[in-house]
Amino acid sequence: MATVTYDHATRVYPGTERPAVDQLNLHIEDGEFLVLVGPSGCGKSTSLRMLAGLEDVNQGRIFIGDRDVTDVQPKDRDIAMVFQNYALYPHMTVADNMGFALKIAGTPKAEIRQRVEEAAKILDLTEYLDRKPKALSGGQRQRVAMGRAIVRQPQVFLMDEPLSNLDAKLRVQTRTQIASLQRRLGVTTVYVTHDQTEALTMGDRIAVLKDGLLQQVGTPREMYDTPQNVFVAGFIGSPAMNIGTFPVSGGNIEVGPARLALPRDVAGKLTSEDDNKVTLGFRPESLDVTSESNAAAFPVEVNIVEELGSDAFVYGTLRGSLAQKDDAVITSGAGDNQVIVRVDPRNVPMKGERVFVTIRPGEEHVFSAATGQRLS
Amino acid sequence: MAATTAPPLAYRDAPEAPVRTNKKSAWGSPTTYFIALVLVAITLAPVAYIVLGGFRTNSQITESPSGLPAPWVVSNYTEVLKSSVFWQQLGNSTLVALVTTVGVVVLGVMASYVLARYRFRGRGAMYSLFAAGLMFPITVAITPLYILIKNIGLINNLAGVILPQIAFALPTTIIILVPFLRAIPEEIEEAAWLDGCGRLGFFFRMVLRLSLPGVLTTGILAFVASWNSYILPLFILNDQGKYTLPLGVQAFSSQYSQDTAKVLAFTSLSMIPALVFFSLFERRIVGGLQGAVKG
Repeated sequence: MATVTYDHATRVYPGTERPAVDQLNLHIEDGEFLVLVGPSGCGKSTSLRMLAGLEDVNQGRIFIGDRDVTDVQPKDRDIAMVFQNYALYPHMTVADNMGFALKIAGTPKAEIRQRVEEAAKILDLTEYLDRKPKALSGGQRQRVAMGRAIVRQPQVFLMDEPLSNLDAKLRVQTRTQIASLQRRLGVTTVYVTHDQTEALTMGDRIAVLKDGLLQQVGTPREMYDTPQNVFVAGFIGSPAMNIGTFPVSGGNIEVGPARLALPRDVAGKLTSEDDNKVTLGFRPESLDVTSESNAAAFPVEVNIVEELGSDAFVYGTLRGSLAQKDDAVITSGAGDNQVIVRVDPRNVPMKGERVFVTIRPGEEHVFSAATGQRLS
Repeated sequence: MAATTAPPLAYRDAPEAPVRTNKKSAWGSPTTYFIALVLVAITLAPVAYIVLGGFRTNSQITESPSGLPAPWVVSNYTEVLKSSVFWQQLGNSTLVALVTTVGVVVLGVMASYVLARYRFRGRGAMYSLFAAGLMFPITVAITPLYILIKNIGLINNLAGVILPQIAFALPTTIIILVPFLRAIPEEIEEAAWLDGCGRLGFFFRMVLRLSLPGVLTTGILAFVASWNSYILPLFILNDQGKYTLPLGVQAFSSQYSQDTAKVLAFTSLSMIPALVFFSLFERRIVGGLQGAVKG
């Protein structure tokens, strides 16, 4: 068991100007499940591969425990990796696949067999030990890949999108299995995914990356409740947060007809570059449906209603004074000038209907209009 | 129950759904068979003629060149089998073919592995160089090759046949094997690294096993090509005791030019090993050419 530390780790691919991973500083505690998440091309896989030793580190250092592994061969780092396409050895049986690393290390056969059988038991693979990977289903192959990592009893597990080749239902199921397995084994784990739901559900902590830069690290709750910038705010959470830029006057944010009080300390952080505007984010569940008579309400025309049983989401177009033809004020996961509103699933509006919504006070996220950094 | 006794009116009145009858039998179309049989006949006729001819006497052949053996004579075959020359030449051919095959496979896999999986300057040029060898027939090179082998002192020596044969079989081998080795997924290599394999460990434990179909294909092709090669041994080997079978057939047929039946028997005996070899591994060859690692 060990901690993992990235110390200003940088990777520049040959022939490119911009670093794929830029000055990454990240400390992962012993036994922690850290999820690296971000859109494709954000450098999350590169970060993982740097830790694995499959990618050179151009600047900075990487530590596993107290040991500097920056220039250590992958095989000597005491790590195990689960690949996206599993990378099982096609010509070996499941048992041989799982015991391969031990065999190379010269572990006695009886011990290999015993450890493989233990792992197979945990993963429910016992009856498949003599099969070749070809004869397994996708989910079983995924478990073999996990088993190969477990058998080694490494200091750190690295997982590179291990669920993305599974179908949706199996993915949800395996997600919880991996998370509970990790808690049980207590092995430090770095997990890469592009799926923020996976990140929120599995991770002890989440690190969001964008363009090779670390945006924020925190527990799922922190990431959800206090995103540090506009990117994280829009990335974490499903459906995505509604985000818009609004003028500030007299200590209030003017959201159309509504006035939201801007706390004094936040107002003090505004700079001239902000041009008296703030970027405001509010999650779909922070909106209340009220009546037209409410002065703070703004109208939304319902385009579609997504009913999920426990929830219902209205995807609507802004109407009234907030709606602008050219310059979109609000963006959301649904697009420009669109807002997403969570409504009571027992009482959903009809398509084309106009509903009036207000932002629940205290549940707004205020960001600098100029820098996108959190103010509140 | 009323429901069961009621006539199924709705079904009876409904227009009959078109039943898709499988008119094609499991045997397929006769035309296909006809064409296939004609082609097979064209291919097999000369071989059959040679093999059957060996079972006839010379007078039978003169009387009716295309007849069947009547009666069957086995003495042609037994005489050939009794002669030490045949066995000597069979041994030479086998030795040359085996050593060539081993050389081609070992060198070919090594060269292909480097060309397929290492990144270095001039890799493309090197691959093209090997591929260019395909366009360079041995017949064209025979004179300088002869001089070269003479200078090395390998004239009338089986090694003088083996070495050039390995060299000339390498282009095909590399062209078949490089895509094969390239198709081994990168992740498998990375997984093997993490599991503690070095480059060489990966080569021996993974690459060799995963490229086995390709290796077999190239090996068989090299074996058969060597078994049938004629022009190179013709230039290099002078001594009847050193002859390989194709040369032996040639020598035998000029020696016994009157005894057609015996020549036919000798010829068929000399081609049988290659024929058996090829038909045994025919499936492997096709599998190897299809290539790639699955799973």
